[in-house]
Amino acid sequence: MGIGSTDFSKASGRSVLTLATSAARAAISDAGLQIDDVDAVIRCENDIVGHNDIAHALGLRELSYWGSTPGGGAAPSGMIGQAVAAVTAGLATTVLVYRSLNGRSGERYGQGAGHEARAIGGFGSYDEFFMPYGLLTPGQVWALIFRRHMIEFGSTTESLREIALTCRRRANANPRAQLGHKLMTAEDYDNEPIISDPLRKFDFCLETDGASAVIVTSAERARDGAQPMCTITATAQSASHGMQPAVMFPVLMRGSLVEQPSAGVADLLYRRAGIGPDGIDVAQFYDCFTPTVLMQLEDYGFCTKGEGSDFAMSGALELGGSIPINTAGGNLSEGYIHGMSHIVEGVRQIRGSSTSQVDGAKTCLVTSGLPVVSSALILSGSA
Amino acid sequence: MIPFVDDVDTKPFFDAARDHRLVVQRCGSCAQIAHLPLGLCPHCGSGDLSWETVRPAGVLHTWTVVVRQVHQDYPTPYTIVLVDHIDHPSVRFIGHIAGERSLAPGQLMRAEFIDRGGVVMPNWCVDTSTRSDSGEDPPS
Repeated sequence: MGIGSTDFSKASGRSVLTLATSAARAAISDAGLQIDDVDAVIRCENDIVGHNDIAHALGLRELSYWGSTPGGGAAPSGMIGQAVAAVTAGLATTVLVYRSLNGRSGERYGQGAGHEARAIGGFGSYDEFFMPYGLLTPGQVWALIFRRHMIEFGSTTESLREIALTCRRRANANPRAQLGHKLMTAEDYDNEPIISDPLRKFDFCLETDGASAVIVTSAERARDGAQPMCTITATAQSASHGMQPAVMFPVLMRGSLVEQPSAGVADLLYRRAGIGPDGIDVAQFYDCFTPTVLMQLEDYGFCTKGEGSDFAMSGALELGGSIPINTAGGNLSEGYIHGMSHIVEGVRQIRGSSTSQVDGAKTCLVTSGLPVVSSALILSGSA
Repeated sequence: MIPFVDDVDTKPFFDAARDHRLVVQRCGSCAQIAHLPLGLCPHCGSGDLSWETVRPAGVLHTWTVVVRQVHQDYPTPYTIVLVDHIDHPSVRFIGHIAGERSLAPGQLMRAEFIDRGGVVMPNWCVDTSTRSDSGEDPPS
């Protein structure tokens, strides 16, 4: 695998295409490959940069396989799975996988949709049942879900604060992190205003301009590459635990709000990898909001359902703990590249080149977004 | 922001709301409830879905008080409530309460019908007519 990222900022001053191209060139170079070695592209369906856009911008002479994976933040691990499938099936040899966005200076996902629309919803979106009530953003959805988790299990905002602080500490060691230079104390967290209760400002991820890219190729080719082998042990996607339609809001109709499709991903992933949570040395959890980390700790079996708060407070998430998380700072403090930078950091852990390296890490769990559908993968050192 | 009420699958819900009736789909073949609305029953595949009027009553499942404003039509603070229908717990509705007030899981809620820009839609508010079993979990 090759990895590459741009800088992460609030105002890149560059087009989304330029960011994608820079990250792609960095990943190709990192892998020790030439531009023309890339014969396939897998993109996120939400990316405004198309497969031929990036191929043109890279000066590729030919592209012979491409695809896209839906689901926004839930896509990246599934995108890697799609790349693996293409290589395994003989449809491609070297696949470029990328995500690029001007998430702060361009389209801001946290602002909610419908600002221009006179009538909202219809056409299978079901937004007409949600948005006219002022339910407008992903953060409000997660506030509703986490309050339910609090009602059922007595979960605490202190545990969310611990997750935010943990990610910030990892970002502080990472010079690429958007908030790497900003220290955060518990008081800093508490002093920020509530945005949608019980969630405060630092329970929300960053908005970022930037791009990350990954090169996927066969183990045979990778052995001759410029980097230590990083093997994709398994990938999994799952839409489960109460199927719901549309982009986001209908997840609130799910029979149990504390059940997430990440539990379905975990079942498949561990079965395919032949290991369980005990076999994971370090994890990069998708963290658009702090409750996603807490619920994934449960769903991926690091603690039982309902014990996420106690587990997060136990010190387990720290370097030296039983499952160190988000070692580059995550969406919360490194940058929001919609889950792709989590894969880049996972590869760094396997190479031993993270700025918060977990000693002797041989396996890394990387998860992608939730709550509608989800995906994840396990990376490991040379097989 | 007003709801789009001309979607072929969801229009009858808003047609009923105009008459101040809360409705959900029931399958004539397997008798199960379908919500959110669609054209074919997700349980058995039948197209024999009809609209059934249900009581405008529910229990509070969860809520959030929105403090940070993101849209000009929705001044903060306001409370978004998620309500389980009292007779069909698998059916949930969203409601909007201006400001913030003391709420408890499982407390009784009732639907009223509001006019937003000429479109009538149900909204959910605290049912003050009956003493609630606040603090207890709603039926699951």
